[in-house]
Amino acid sequence: MTKTTGFFAILTAALVLLGVLVASSLPDGLEHVAESLGFAGRASQGAAWSPFADYEAAFVEGSWLAQVTAGIAGVGLIWAFGALLGRTLKRKGGG
Amino acid sequence: MHIPDGFLTPPVWAALDAGAIPVVGYFVRRTQRSFEQSRIPLLGVLGAFVFAAQMINFPIWAGTSGHLVGGALLALTLGPSAAVVVMTAILVVQALVFQDGGLLALGANVLNMAVIGVWVGYLPAKLLGRRTSARRVAAFAGGWLSLMAGALCAAIELWLSQVAPPGPLFASMLGIHAVTGLAEGAITAASLVAIERLNPGFVYANGGRAAQPAGDAVVEEPRARQAAVSGR
Repeated sequence: MTKTTGFFAILTAALVLLGVLVASSLPDGLEHVAESLGFAGRASQGAAWSPFADYEAAFVEGSWLAQVTAGIAGVGLIWAFGALLGRTLKRKGGG
Repeated sequence: MHIPDGFLTPPVWAALDAGAIPVVGYFVRRTQRSFEQSRIPLLGVLGAFVFAAQMINFPIWAGTSGHLVGGALLALTLGPSAAVVVMTAILVVQALVFQDGGLLALGANVLNMAVIGVWVGYLPAKLLGRRTSARRVAAFAGGWLSLMAGALCAAIELWLSQVAPPGPLFASMLGIHAVTGLAEGAITAASLVAIERLNPGFVYANGGRAAQPAGDAVVEEPRARQAAVSGR
């Protein structure tokens, strides 16, 4: 599976580093529906209590770097979760 | 289609929060019982890929964008049970760390994208068989149906929360996600084609039945032929 993991690792890096440059800021499906039908205002805005709210690291200067930092944090967390999950799934004797 | 807090009314989000816990717990146990060992390396890397892809919106038509959700892709590579678990983790991280999707609405989002989205995404391939020539079509269909099913569930939840009249609500949710679903289907199918090229003999994941006794290898062709094909 090394080629496959390598391939997706590279794709992921490209998405995080380059994707944020081209990403559209248009509202996604649900947001658009909410705006058109008039219930978008119900969303609780709330203060940004997380340093990574909205996929931007609040403590980093510069939009691209802030987004990349947030992306790396998220990718790292999910990858770590997957690795931990994998470890709990390993059975003795290669079941 | 991450639902933020404030859209759903308490009876709706509370019921879904309560229901999501045992459902995800069930799939955690099922994953522990029957995950194909050889796919372990895929857990982290595909989860990370789906997370990253969800961050990158692409324009769909005037005024709207879409992004990969990834339920079908995870289901076909990791198996649907593990896909439920990984997608749930993604949604939890998104809500807790990135404030994408509400905290109270987590149950709803988990149900829509991690449970229903995953299993509906898996169904066409399961019905058509993992190695038939129709499997690429099944992957595309799985991606599209997975979005439609998720959007339908979200629309039902929003309707129950009385945010808008049902006609326009269902029409617009299903209409927009029918278009985004084409991209989801295409990306799902293309990803699986790529995996097959890199890993000849790769078979779309099973539904969580116990792994084969002597060979839980993902590649099911004889080693000699596989080595010849991939030049190792």
